[in-house]
Amino acid sequence: KIEKPKSIKCGTFGATSLQQRYLATGDFGGNLNIWNLEAPEIPVYSVKGHKEIINSIDGVGGLGIGEGAPEIVTGSRDGTVKVWDPRQKETPVANMEPVQGESKRDCWTVAFGNAYNQEERVVCAGYDNGDIKLFDLKTMSLRWETNIKNGVCSVEFDRKDVNMNKLVATSLEGKFHVFDMRTQHPTKGFASVSEKAQKSTIWQVRPLPQNRDIFMTSGGAGSLHLWKYEYPAQRSKKDSEGAEMGVAGSVSLLQNVTLSTQPISSLDWSPDKKGLCVCGAFDQTVRVLIVTKLNKV
Amino acid sequence: MDDESVPYLLGQGTTKTYQIPISHLDYKFIEKCRDVKHLEKILRVLRSGEEGCYPELTLCCEKRIEHLDPMSKALRKDKPAATASDFTAEEWEAINGELMSWLTEMNEGDKKPQFPRTDTLCERQDNLPPIRCSSSCLPANQNKKLQNKETNKKNIPRDYSEWDKFDVEKECYKIDEGCEENNSKARFNRPSLPVIEKKIDTTGMTKKDKIFIATREKEKGNEAFATGDYVEAVTYYARSISVIPTAAAYNNKAQAEIKLKDWDSALQDCEKVLDMEPGNIKEIVPVRGEAGTKKAVMGNAQRKFHSKGGGSKAEDRETQKQKESTESRLKKGTSEKKPQKKLSDHEGEVNGYLHSEQKSESPEAEKISESHGAGSQSADSGSSLPPIAAKLKSEGNELFKSGQFGEAVLKYSEAIEYVISLGEQSPADLSILYSNRAACYLKEGSCSDCIQDCNRALELQPFSLKPLLRRAMANESMERYRQAYVDYKTILQIDSSIQAANDSVNRITKTLIDQDGPSWREKLPPIPVVPVAAQLHRWDGGNFTSENRPRSTDINREEQLQMNREEAEEKFKTLKNEGNDFVKKGKYEEAVKKYSECMKLNTKECAIYTNRALCYLKLYKYEEAKQDCDHVLQIEDSNIKAFYRRALAYKGLQNYQASIDDFNRVLLIDPDVLEARKELEEVTQLLNLDSSAVAGSQQKQRKKITIQEVTESDEREERQFSTSEDIAADHVTSKEAVQGSVPPKTLEKLRFSEPDNAYDFGQIINAVNANKDKAACADLLTMIDPKQLPVLLSNKLEGEIFLIFIQSLEYYVVGKDPGLVYQHLFYLSKAERFKVVLALLSKNEKEHVQQLFDLLAEKRNHQYSSGDLKSLRKVYEL
Repeated sequence: KIEKPKSIKCGTFGATSLQQRYLATGDFGGNLNIWNLEAPEIPVYSVKGHKEIINSIDGVGGLGIGEGAPEIVTGSRDGTVKVWDPRQKETPVANMEPVQGESKRDCWTVAFGNAYNQEERVVCAGYDNGDIKLFDLKTMSLRWETNIKNGVCSVEFDRKDVNMNKLVATSLEGKFHVFDMRTQHPTKGFASVSEKAQKSTIWQVRPLPQNRDIFMTSGGAGSLHLWKYEYPAQRSKKDSEGAEMGVAGSVSLLQNVTLSTQPISSLDWSPDKKGLCVCGAFDQTVRVLIVTKLNKV
Repeated sequence: MDDESVPYLLGQGTTKTYQIPISHLDYKFIEKCRDVKHLEKILRVLRSGEEGCYPELTLCCEKRIEHLDPMSKALRKDKPAATASDFTAEEWEAINGELMSWLTEMNEGDKKPQFPRTDTLCERQDNLPPIRCSSSCLPANQNKKLQNKETNKKNIPRDYSEWDKFDVEKECYKIDEGCEENNSKARFNRPSLPVIEKKIDTTGMTKKDKIFIATREKEKGNEAFATGDYVEAVTYYARSISVIPTAAAYNNKAQAEIKLKDWDSALQDCEKVLDMEPGNIKEIVPVRGEAGTKKAVMGNAQRKFHSKGGGSKAEDRETQKQKESTESRLKKGTSEKKPQKKLSDHEGEVNGYLHSEQKSESPEAEKISESHGAGSQSADSGSSLPPIAAKLKSEGNELFKSGQFGEAVLKYSEAIEYVISLGEQSPADLSILYSNRAACYLKEGSCSDCIQDCNRALELQPFSLKPLLRRAMANESMERYRQAYVDYKTILQIDSSIQAANDSVNRITKTLIDQDGPSWREKLPPIPVVPVAAQLHRWDGGNFTSENRPRSTDINREEQLQMNREEAEEKFKTLKNEGNDFVKKGKYEEAVKKYSECMKLNTKECAIYTNRALCYLKLYKYEEAKQDCDHVLQIEDSNIKAFYRRALAYKGLQNYQASIDDFNRVLLIDPDVLEARKELEEVTQLLNLDSSAVAGSQQKQRKKITIQEVTESDEREERQFSTSEDIAADHVTSKEAVQGSVPPKTLEKLRFSEPDNAYDFGQIINAVNANKDKAACADLLTMIDPKQLPVLLSNKLEGEIFLIFIQSLEYYVVGKDPGLVYQHLFYLSKAERFKVVLALLSKNEKEHVQQLFDLLAEKRNHQYSSGDLKSLRKVYEL
């Protein structure tokens, strides 16, 4: 057990190899640290990345997830989203910030996706005003943005390392949106379906690593919901101008469970054992659950 | 609870949250209420306990909602996590056991020393892509300005004081009500097509890592497969294989390749599976089961291809074929020499595939293929092949029959070489040899060789049927649909009765339309015109080899004159009867040919001309029909049939005045001919329309209608006059006779199996709709689960489909099973586009719906109440 001066907000193993298992953390002071857990006294990598708290962190390129360089993305209250490469000290490899003079929005969540080969990679960021922005790291441009009207608590691709397939975004007021990311229409963007899970904030969404069409949401009322996305018969169609347009599928609730009276703020699945998951709640409890019969859905 | 007896409740009036009258919180009201939204509100009130706690009533309300809308969100309940007590002992043991075994596995893995550490890290570093260009900085709010204009209060995060006043229910409701706006802005550079590396760099990975990655890549493949993205699936399976080759991954890859119709790769993969697990008999991959020998696999895959390429996507047929071939494989296992069952019962050397395919389609076709086989055999036996070559050939035939196509090819090749070396000019024999070898190639799956041989055969013997057929099949297998189409068309010119060719033309037409759009015909290579001689020749050879009838091409007039008169007359009669038979069967082209032959024998017989005129009318060749009638009228100026048919021909030629004249003459001769009277009225109308100068487009439409009417009235006429020469024949009897013999082409029953996805369903519906086959539609509707209807229909519901549903339910189903009809109507109303379709119904069509509902009301049973029906009527806007 090691104590650090600043509270840690978020962490990920996503950008290290399976053997190394270095933990990347973002803390309340805006620092990004990478720790070797076998020698945790001094971080392997440390940078003061943001002026304010790092709300969210995500990694890709490690653990065999995704092709290409190991990279870490951080989203902070200061409104910026920065991408880091552990091999490069001090400066981020990409920095997405609001233009000068604009009000800065609190970035609540970030996620990598589309990392199916060495070049392609996108970062999706969700903001407190309901903005969702999709940055293409290959072309270094803003590829798509939308607004879901309520603060975006969590965004997650169904798989980071395939050609963008689905994106789930959860919101403050209990609704979540599933975007079909395969077909992007020039004006309409991506097709989406939304569902209201509960009457409280959905803090986090995690797709099942063994089946991308199943995902779990954790809610403010201390409940977990297990969902399944069903694809439509045809995932894309031509609109009147002949442009490809995505068709959204449907979402069905498989199971729900209430674990606590306090919000469940974080959630993750085991990559090894199908159905094993862990969640942490505001009642200071970490719960380990097993979801059975996932083979049958 | 009665309002009047409890007056103080009236003061309260409504509930606090939703302003529902208190009286609605009542068993009776809930039992009757059909408004799900309203019930949900009631349930919320009841659950909140603000009007008191009524557990029984809550339960009742829940049940009611579940009955009305099983998917209602209000029914979602918070449940605690399941614990051991929620499971049976066995289930719990299974769950526990699984976890424990996983734990021990993990622990063991952790204990194993992981030595290559630092060095591998260095290696890995080398393979990594360079660090991203560091100067990159993205303005995240590129179009912030635009957005600010649209921002309303909701987009600004609430401050804490606001949160205190936040009413979750209301906000949720607002979200529900609020329409979905899509604020997304277009700002993207469409990335080029995804390039996914087919191999994964595994340097420096431990075995465990490899297993982990291989499994994950396979899972990705599975997911892509499930989505229908087979290309991606194949890629991911290949990636998985590149890390650790497993039988399962190969297996799945083969399956995806089958879906992609990449037969060669699929076969390779199957072989690898068999190499890895020779005893693998699980039926995961269909092809694998068939893999007895490589050749058999080729043949099977090829056959499968045809069955697929031919649009017969029905899964059951596929599985049936699998079964068959597994059967044959098992037989092979027991005794190697035993020929494949399917081929052994096949006598002709027409290839087995053709045979089997037709077998599954219609027994009629089978007959034809057999007769062809017989025909060709007799042709073979009559050939003057040198004995050695003949022996080689028959050996080849034997080998072919026993399924050893490779060896058969060798025999045929020897025979061909021998014949060529002899230098004798026997193109017919050589052509047959080439054609046979082509059949072997086709079976083996080497389509290009097959096409080459067919070409050679056709050079030697142009317009021979079998090489054409084989070339067409080979072309189709290679997805060269245009060439295949041309070949099939040529075949049909030679012999229009070949069912396989007809079917193929139909399905290729569909494929080509899909591929090239409406102007697909323009892209076709020219279809060669088959000379009449070839037509007749084939035709005789095909169908009438047994008959001792002189061939028209061989006969010239002098010979005929030398024949004695009686014989000629006899011939004339047989030809005429054959012609009449063809007319009865609806094969007008053949009939025309027969009649034409008759005319060569006897030019004075009027009946032949009138009959041929009838055929021409059926074939829409009005000019020819008119000429024939003219000819008759020159000989016999009061021939009523000739007048009637000429009138119809004039009508077809849009010469309405002449048509009217002729009809009048018919009526002059015999005023009782009702058909003529009717026609006369129609044509007079047409004439009036025509003269009042209608718009060009309308004229076109008109024209269409007239043609339809001609054919209709023709049938009527045909029934009356029949094809016998005797006009005075008993009308009723001849009518019946012909009715019996006219093949009801359109009534051919559609056969299909239960569709399990929207695509199959759509296909069937299209077929049903094209034929307006209500009986088939009724069968379909009884087959499927009404609940599935919205899913199966997806967004394809259209007015026509709607109408045929309603009609088939009305005519066929409602009598038998009104409950099912109710279910169907109920779920039909849940389908996408239902409202649109409903809004577009014409008055007439609405009446049908109304009738159906009336019938339903009459036959009411326990499956639905009159209340149910009433509310459904409302949904249908009646």
